[in-house]
Parts: sequence; C-alpha cells; structure tokens
Amino acid sequence: MEREVVEAEMVLPTELSFKRIQAYEKYPKGQARSRHWKHLKQILQAEREYQQLNPSDEPTYSSIESPPSLRPPKKICDITGFEAPYSDPRTKLHYANTEVFKQVRSLPNEHVQRYLALRNAQVVLR
Amino acid sequence: MPFISKTQRQTDYHLFPPSHPIVIDNGASYLRIGWAGETEPRVIFRNIVQRPRHKATGETVTIVGDHDPALLRYFDCTRSGPRSAFDSNVVYQFEIMEYILDFAFDRLGATGTQINHPILITECVCNPVQSRSKMAELLFETYGVPSIAFGVDAAFSYKYNQQLGICDKDGLALCPGFSTTHSIPFVGGEPVYKASCRTNVGGYHITDYLKQLLSLKYPYHMARFTWEKAEDLKMEHCYIAFDYATEVKLFQQGAKEADEKTRCWQLPWVPPVVEEPPSEEELARKAAIKERQGQRLRDMAEAKRTSKINELENELQGLEFLLQQLATVPEDDISSFLSTTGYVSKQEIEAAVSKVTQSLRKTRGEQIDAEEKPEASAAEKYPLLDIPDNMLTPEQVKEKKRQLFLKTTSEGRQRAKQKRFEEEIERERQNQQEEERRLENPDLYLEQLHVKHKELTERVEQRKRLKTNGNHSNGNNGTALGVGRGERLSAAQKERMRLLTTAAFDRGKGEDTFGARDEDWQLYKLMSKDNEDDDEGPDPEEAELFRISARLREIDPTFVPKSEVENAQPVIEVPKSRPMTQEDFQILLGVERFRCPEILFNPNRIGIHQVGLDEMPSVSIRRLPSDSQQIKEKLCCSILVTGGSSLFPGITERLEAGVRMTRPCGSTIKVVRASDPVLDAWRGASAYAASPHFATQTFSKQDMYQKGEDWLRGYQFTYSQ
Repeated sequence: MEREVVEAEMVLPTELSFKRIQAYEKYPKGQARSRHWKHLKQILQAEREYQQLNPSDEPTYSSIESPPSLRPPKKICDITGFEAPYSDPRTKLHYANTEVFKQVRSLPNEHVQRYLALRNAQVVLR
Repeated sequence: MPFISKTQRQTDYHLFPPSHPIVIDNGASYLRIGWAGETEPRVIFRNIVQRPRHKATGETVTIVGDHDPALLRYFDCTRSGPRSAFDSNVVYQFEIMEYILDFAFDRLGATGTQINHPILITECVCNPVQSRSKMAELLFETYGVPSIAFGVDAAFSYKYNQQLGICDKDGLALCPGFSTTHSIPFVGGEPVYKASCRTNVGGYHITDYLKQLLSLKYPYHMARFTWEKAEDLKMEHCYIAFDYATEVKLFQQGAKEADEKTRCWQLPWVPPVVEEPPSEEELARKAAIKERQGQRLRDMAEAKRTSKINELENELQGLEFLLQQLATVPEDDISSFLSTTGYVSKQEIEAAVSKVTQSLRKTRGEQIDAEEKPEASAAEKYPLLDIPDNMLTPEQVKEKKRQLFLKTTSEGRQRAKQKRFEEEIERERQNQQEEERRLENPDLYLEQLHVKHKELTERVEQRKRLKTNGNHSNGNNGTALGVGRGERLSAAQKERMRLLTTAAFDRGKGEDTFGARDEDWQLYKLMSKDNEDDDEGPDPEEAELFRISARLREIDPTFVPKSEVENAQPVIEVPKSRPMTQEDFQILLGVERFRCPEILFNPNRIGIHQVGLDEMPSVSIRRLPSDSQQIKEKLCCSILVTGGSSLFPGITERLEAGVRMTRPCGSTIKVVRASDPVLDAWRGASAYAASPHFATQTFSKQDMYQKGEDWLRGYQFTYSQ
C-alpha cells in the first residue's frame, strides 16, 4: 500500500481490538451468502402485519407519513422552471412559451425522458 | 462549506471512565461521535462506505467516509460507488453500519477489548423495531457495549434550543434533513410522535435535482457535475424564494435583478491554439520538393516515350522493308514468302503499317483527326458491310460484325453531337426571346419570372417532401420524436408495400382480369425495388427551376433563392459549427438557485405527492390528540427549523408566510432557525447523556433479551427531566 494512503489511514483495518467479533468472521470472504438485510419496504410490511395482529394507537413509521397537499399543484416548465401554462401532448413536457416549445421539440428522446424522470413521470418499460 | 469532516484520531480515549457515555448522531448524511457533556463532537464524517479494489495489490478494502479524492487514485472505484446504510432515513444494511461504527470508534481512539461505555445513538422518528433491534444487537454483540439509549435527533435539537431560550416548551420542530423532513409537535416539553408527520423530501433530493437540471442544461459538461460539486453549489448558492411565482417572473422578463441574482461558474477554459501559417521558407522548401518529384516523373515519362518511339520506328522500318521486298517478289511466290514472315496477305501488312504509323504519331504527340476521316470514306472503312454473308469466309463474317458495330457506334456518337448542337441553338434562341421580352417590359417580365420560380420551388419541395416523408398532415416535420413504425417509410415505399400486400392477398377473388389492359403491367414497375429511389437523373422541373433561379440571380440583385434562406436559419443554432468560446464553459445558475430548494415546499415538483414544509405544521396540529385551541396557538408561536436543509437563506420568512396561510387570520406565528441546525442535535444529545437522569433511559443486553421485541417497540426516550 502506498505511503500517503497509509499515512491518511483511510483504509479501515480488518482487525480491531475493541470488537468481539471481527467483520471477516461475520462476513467471510468469498462465501456466497444470502442477503442478510431487508429493504425498507419489507421492514414496513412486517410492521404493518404486526399492527393488524395487535391493533394499537401507537404511531408507526408508516402512520406518520404526510398526506397529499391540499393546495392545487402549479405546473412548472420542465426546462426553465417558469410557470407553465401549456404542456406538449407529444412529449408530455410542460413548457412556458414558444421558445421553450421549440427547444422541447428539438430535445432528443433520452433528454425528454430524463426531464420527465425529474418529476417521476417518465415512461417506464417493464 | 458548512459541513466539514473531522476524522483526526483522538488520543484521550483511555482518560474517560467506563461510565462516561459516548454520543452518536447517526444522520443519513453525516455521522457525529463524541463524549457526553462536551459541546463539540470529536469525529465527524460522511456516513458512506466505499469498497474499492486496491490497484497495486488487488485486494478489496473498506474506506469509510469522505477522503481526499486525490488519494482515491490508488483504488479502482469503478465497480462500487459510495454506499449508505440508510434507506430513506432508516438504517437497513447493518454490514455497512458496522464498517461505519468501526471507523467511528477507531477514530475516537477506542482501545481495549470492547467499547465499555454506555451509548446514546440517534434514530429516526418511529424507527421500525426491526431496525432498532438490529442496531442494538450490533452494538451489544459486536462491540460489547454495556447499555444503549435511542433518541430522535430533531427532538434533541429542539430541547437544546429550548434550553438556549430560542423556543418554548410547547412548540413545533420542523426538521428538513437529508432524506426526509419531519414536523414534530412538543407539548409540555415532550414530543408528540402521534401528531408528527414526515414528507420524504430532503437535502438529498435538492442536490440530486440540481445535479440533474444542470447536466440537462449543459449536456456538454455533464462530467463536471459530480455529487460533491452539486452539493457544494447547493450550499453556496441556493436560497429560498419568498414567492416563487414573482421571483421566477423576474427571470422570465429578464429583469435587472435577475441578472444580478444569476451566478456564473467559469469552468477552466483554454483558448484553442490558433495554427500559425507556415513560414515562407517552409513553403518554398515544400514547393521545391514537389517540383523535384514532378521533374523526376516527367523525365521518366519522357524516357519511356523516346524508347517507345524508337521501337515503333524500328518496327515501321521493318515493315516498309518487307513491303519493298514484297514488291520485288514474283506473284506466285507471295504466299510462300509471306508464310516465313508470319503475315497472311499484303493487306495485312499494310494494315499493320498504318497501325504503327498511327501509334507513332500518337506517341509523338501529333494531332490525329481520326474522327473526321471516316465520314468521307465510310464505304472504304467498312468494306465488308455491303457484301452478303454467304460470299464471305467465316473470318470475314466476324470482321463484318465488328465493322457493323463500329459503324453503329460512330453513327450514334454523331447523332448525339448533332442533338447537343441543336439544343444549344434552341437555348440560344430561347434566351434571345426572353431577352427581347425583358427589354419590352422589364417589370412584368421580372414579376412573371418570380411567380414561375415560386410555383416551381413549391412543386419541387412538395415532391421532395413526399419522397422523404410521407405523412405531413400534421404539418410539423423535422423533429424525429416518437417515430412510429409507419412513419419510417416514405410515401413511395408505403405505396409499394401496399401493392405488394394486395398482390399477395387478393388472389382468386372474383374474376381475374389482370392483364386485360396494358396499364396493368405497369404494376410490376411500381412494385420493383428500383422504384424506391428513382434516379431518373435531374428531372425537368428541377432543371427549369435551376435555370430560372440562375436567370433571376442575373437580373435581380435582391433575389435570394428560397433554399438558401431556409438553410441559413438552422446553421446559426447549431453550436458545433463555431469554435468553443469562453461562454460555452460558463455554468449559469439562475432560476436553479431557488428552483431546487423549492421542492421542500412543493414536493410534487419531483413527483412526491405530499404536503410541503409550510403545510406540515397544520397537518401536525390537525393530528394532535388534544383539541385545545390554546395549545394549537402556542405551537405556532414557537416553530423551530433545524436540520441540514434549513440552512438556505430565506427559509424562515417563507415558512412564516406559508404557515400563516394555513392558520386562522390574526394568529401569531413565529418561526426561528436553530442556533446551529447541523450540530444542535448532537449537542442536545450530549447534554442529555451527561445528565444524571440519563442512566434511567438506557437498557442493557439482558433487558432487551428478557423483555423482548414488544418492549423494544414501545421503548421511548423521555426528554424532559
């Protein structure tokens, strides 16, 4: 290992005296192990199942989620951020004026999709 | 940059007695660890892990936190990016969490065989029990921690600011963090989680939004917008507009304020090197070399020519000598004499002589007007043509065929020449006529010409359009967006496909009358593939158009052909056609400065359909179990914003205005920012861990395993002493 790297101590040592079980013992190298963690979705699903069995008034991670807004959403030009009175039926992008429209029509499809992805409205191929 | 990592290894670990708690603020972006009772955390680093491969040795190493990017050049990071233990604000990957804690304790200077200190670690509001128990298990089993307490960072921050007198006992903590934003009401100094709410928007989303917007705006500089750079830009330049609509209007109208608010980031730019024209000497030297080479080639050609001339002269002399000899030879001996020379007849020798003389003249560079001659002596040249076949030997028949061919081709050439000549005359005549017409009435003539030009251009354009792209019913062409299957074929191609399909499927329907009319056979011509791109040469209309525009250009100085006008437009817009300038390397931050943080207030801008920051207090108040109007009013009098994303300038003003809209008219609303939105949570936690009351809040390994998961689910830290 290079001197600067050693001096910066950026690499985590594999053996740490204050640990009872070292990481390499827990997660042996080169051994295919099944995924030992759950996604947040799975964790929350387990919580919901528990809630159904033991109904209680206690708040949970899912129950404190915010509701949708009551205010009418304003359309914003996807390209410029201006207020957008129009939307393009072909690309589904919102746009503010004719100049932006010209730009919208000249965008490659990949960019259109990326703009749409910004507000989670892209075309998803399954 | 407000967030700076502190990863210096501490040396005073052994000075702290085992009862002294360690405090960890385990935030999704940064982890802060230090000793209870102190005002500053000892170690701060980004809560990420990278597992790159060391280039020299090839071993996979673990790197926690952010380091000097220059040092990362020794590692191959292509296969694994920075990873976080968090999904949203919940810890879910405990392997990564373990590396992070390893690093944290290591940098705190931990020695001995276990971490023999109570630990206070933060978690999110209503952390799922699975995550909480895993975290406790990790701390107990792997590090041998004697006891643990879990608390909520926003609550610690609120309590800390309450002690500083910034907010009241009853109030509301609004905490826009890294991945989520929380609103937690406090009643009687205790958080009411039941009434809290969480919107899944935070600093992460703002940075990502900025990064995406900039890389879409400047696709050429995409590689410049790394996560770290976007984060820096966000912290340095982003602010919250008091009213988005009016602020954006400024930019839309191009007001002066907008220019002042636009930030410019000049990327390093080196002007392209202008190539110097080669010097005189260089040019002269090159020309000399070229000249020398040319001379050599010329010499070679000359030598070859002389040798060929010599050869031909020799041959000619030989042949002439032969002829002379032949003249002296008696009639009867001719054939025997000829058999020795290899020629069959005298004519043949003569033919050979003429051939050699011709090629000799050619090589000597003399003019041969072979073209003119045969006209006069067609009969001579093609002597065999008038003799019937049956009178000729097989060789002569062959010869006759050859002569016939030669005659027809030369005649064809002649005809073409004649035609060209006639056309020339015709054109001349036409021009003359036009000139006369023009001289008669110049204006009328010009007008007529213009009309004709316009008509023709339209017709030609129309045909071109039809050829390239069939359906133009919607009137917009050019942009190739959403090209369907049908649109790819031109009109002619489509027609061909239609004909083919009808031919394939229409068989045997009714009486077959195909072929009754001659036009039917045209079908095959239409069907054939050659029809697709018919190169019938320049079609008459186009030729006429060309002629007229040339004429117009001649007599009308203001005339500009339409095709040129159309072509001129897009050329300006294409940036590639001009060299890159300094302006092309400027990143302008205008609307983006407040557009990105605006998603805190309008999460639906990025497709998250939840209430924004300014509506969250009213949601919390609605969810409050007690109906007391007094409490509700009190809450709004002490709204504390804390958390990393509350550092944007203008957030308190905007919040006050936003909350006012959701509250009854005339109610007092007070929004304050935490004294230090980033570090207050750790400081609050540190103060709690130092109080004697802390020991009653912790639980040990035995507690956890005896009381079980249900108990852990209900575990709650009490913040009021």
